[in-house]
Amino acid sequence: MADYSPNGDGELQREFVEQWRNNAFGCFSSGHKFCREVCPVMQVTRNENHTPTAFHANIVAMERGLVSVEDVADDYVHCTQCGACELRCPNTLFTGDFYRHRTRTVDVVKAMRALMVATGNERPGWKLWNERLAEGTNEPVLGDVPVSQEHVRDWAEGLDLPEGGETILFVDCEAAFYRTSYSRAFALLLQKAGVEFGLMREQWCCGGPAAEMGYVDLARKHAEHNVADWRAVGAKRILAPDPHDYIAFTEDYPRMFGDDYDFEIVLGVELVAELVRDGRLSLTGPVERTVTYHDPCRLNKRKGVHEPPRELLRAIPGLTFNDVDHVTQWSYCSGGGAGLPVEKPEITAEISRRRVERAKALEVDTLVSACPWSERPLSEAADGSLEVLDLFELVAQSAGIEVGGHSQGPAAAATEGAS
Amino acid sequence: MSVAFKSAVDDGVIDELRAIIGDEDRVLPNLTSRVNRTRVPAPFPVHRWAEFMPDVAVLPETAEEVSEVVKLANRLRIPVVPRAGGTGLSDGAVPLRGGICVDVKLMNLIHEIDLTDRTVTVGPGINMLKLNEELHPHGVFYPDDPASYPCSLVGGRIGTGGWSLLGARFGHTRDLVISMQVVLPTGEIAEIGEGGGRKLRKSSTGLTLKQLFTGHQGTLGITTEATLELFPKPEVEFAAFFAFDDYMKAYRTTGALTRSGLATLAGVVLFDEWKLRYLRRDDEAYIPQPDWVKAVVAVAMYGSRAEVEPASKRVMELGRADGGKYLGDEISEGDWASRHDRYATPLHGRTRDGQVVPMSWHCEDAALNYSVLPKVREEWHAIVERYIEQYGIFDDWGMFCYTNGAHKPWGDYLVEIDVGIWEQRLDDENWAGWVACKREIAEVALKHGGSITACHGATREGDAELVPTEMGSAWEVVKRIKAALDPNNIMNPGKQMMDEAYE
Repeated sequence: MADYSPNGDGELQREFVEQWRNNAFGCFSSGHKFCREVCPVMQVTRNENHTPTAFHANIVAMERGLVSVEDVADDYVHCTQCGACELRCPNTLFTGDFYRHRTRTVDVVKAMRALMVATGNERPGWKLWNERLAEGTNEPVLGDVPVSQEHVRDWAEGLDLPEGGETILFVDCEAAFYRTSYSRAFALLLQKAGVEFGLMREQWCCGGPAAEMGYVDLARKHAEHNVADWRAVGAKRILAPDPHDYIAFTEDYPRMFGDDYDFEIVLGVELVAELVRDGRLSLTGPVERTVTYHDPCRLNKRKGVHEPPRELLRAIPGLTFNDVDHVTQWSYCSGGGAGLPVEKPEITAEISRRRVERAKALEVDTLVSACPWSERPLSEAADGSLEVLDLFELVAQSAGIEVGGHSQGPAAAATEGAS
Repeated sequence: MSVAFKSAVDDGVIDELRAIIGDEDRVLPNLTSRVNRTRVPAPFPVHRWAEFMPDVAVLPETAEEVSEVVKLANRLRIPVVPRAGGTGLSDGAVPLRGGICVDVKLMNLIHEIDLTDRTVTVGPGINMLKLNEELHPHGVFYPDDPASYPCSLVGGRIGTGGWSLLGARFGHTRDLVISMQVVLPTGEIAEIGEGGGRKLRKSSTGLTLKQLFTGHQGTLGITTEATLELFPKPEVEFAAFFAFDDYMKAYRTTGALTRSGLATLAGVVLFDEWKLRYLRRDDEAYIPQPDWVKAVVAVAMYGSRAEVEPASKRVMELGRADGGKYLGDEISEGDWASRHDRYATPLHGRTRDGQVVPMSWHCEDAALNYSVLPKVREEWHAIVERYIEQYGIFDDWGMFCYTNGAHKPWGDYLVEIDVGIWEQRLDDENWAGWVACKREIAEVALKHGGSITACHGATREGDAELVPTEMGSAWEVVKRIKAALDPNNIMNPGKQMMDEAYE
């Protein structure tokens, strides 16, 4: 019947199908594809294999013996795990409450990528990326330039931040090495507001991206290290300015550690909005810019956080804010998530190009985001035609803070410095 | 001439397709590309999945590419199956004999917005919601509004002859397409319209070909561009839902509303008792009505404030005149606003003993005159009841009747009975039971002077066999046209009994 031969990993595939078949059938038996037009990858490739519908249908086909992991592996590379499909799914929207059902597509993609790794169907780009992560304990965000523990705190130069304490600031790999202005802005805002916090003794990558690419053992190793480091200094609260880390700490870590995991995880943008609301930070410096806001997927679509960033933007004097509502932005993305730029950089670039075009149509000079992983592809797509800034950087400017650091990697900063 | 050919896609054909398309990523002979271009949301014999796979999918970007692919297929006698959104509720886009799937999703550009002559010209791969997002700043909109509005694509709407929830006011797909570019089954590119230029709405030159190329289910060609109607964006939307303790009162009220002569009336929908029972039982989003409610009538109007406001008062009078109870603004506005999201209704299925099981949705969509609605309703529910008893994998989800005539809502209806099907339990015997059930439903429609399908297309087992009967004396004309335009029967072969054109 089917013109393929099973790849010899039948048992793992069988377990996978057993776990996901009913969730998959919830989609398959509907098959209406409302997800298609909000999917950022699908908007670019228009290839039905890359639809969330296909991610579920493949599992039903697998159950029927029609396809193997090898056959479908490339389909599952085409996903930023932004979560738009789950929000737009009629199952989630309508019958969800009744049956306590939420179509799980992001988890399906993660699980399939894990199965790809387990069955020798991993992708070369991700394999290399995670080998380098394992060596360097942080993601290789500087390309050929290695990252290391030796430099993981370089971003905080001159800030005189302590180590340890009850409240720990977790700094994302991209923000620690590539866009250090992001981390500096956040830390300086907290210092200005009198929030006490310390750094980790040894901060490894959160492991979230490894999990997103299917490297579950490596992700777990990182999680275990970080949690042990937190415990060793008696930490109770973890500040997570980066949305990707926030997902790892509020979704991946609790699944790994269960009830033992009792840290309070604080989302950076919610904390800063609260500090401004409570008058602990005063935004008095006018910022003469016309901006629009990019809802980062992991805030807006994955966590339903869309109001605090807007609240902050409205609090900045002098700013003209041309907003696009957060539901319209379900179909927007930078393409920077879940390892897509590693395996399919051309798709990431096109998703970002379209996002920047939408911003330009609003006649703004600045596109403000709140996620460092989006800011690199968006900046590259803008290529100087408009400025891409992080919300913390903008808020810091209004609070009268000189941020410093660099926004496009140390190499670019060095070039800028020389010119 | 033999028509039941086996597809002949080999490596040589793949090489030729790659030469035409010139991009590896848009010629897809791999297994997953084929598996995922097989089914549509209609019930699918999942146990026979492999039989319905195309041999290769291509993703063209231009009419010229489509033309060359079709010429190749015609030369080598390879079946061609056009596919747009793949969201049809019948099997138009399901390959019956393998071949080349021409997937037009990449042809999704807006070529021109003409605000002077009020047209928009688009590729067939664009979705209506996305199109309207782009039209919004210009104060115009394209009112083709099926339940699948967020996901179906213009090309599929044209190919299947789509029906719109707002059709009574704005017309259905075929009324909204002014002209189009079509790749014929022999590969030539033809501009098909009323006559004259592509933006003319009415002409009497030559033959009026446009309607021939809407609703042919992919059997006469592939639309590669369409020039569509632009309407002023309505100032006001008005929706009202009325509850009744008796179906016949609701039925009479539906008739009165459609005969009211109100030009802004966009649609009237009649829900029957089975439908309400189903919504009460299994739809959290539906605000439950008390047990005395046995039928509901929904009305929607669109237009300028100057028209809709006074008309809405008349609607309220008519809705209440025969015992209707207005259900309030919250239900009226909310339920109407959720008309698209509501349409996907999986997970709702229950077996006879109440067990919740994942069920796929079948939507029968006969076109029937107003006079026969009560009778057909009884006969259809009785048929489904028998099959539920016998097979245990079906569920009766009730009926809707929707106004069907474009601009003339009074005479006929799209009559829908929704049947849940537990696909995980499908085997040859259960599938045969399902097809038999379908056929009985369709036969009732024909017996009462109706049509098997108002919009989905009679492309499935159970329906297709009855197409010659329904067409009657016109079937001969259909066959001559099909054979003349598609001499080798390559365009979506096996659909609608059109093989008979080659006997």
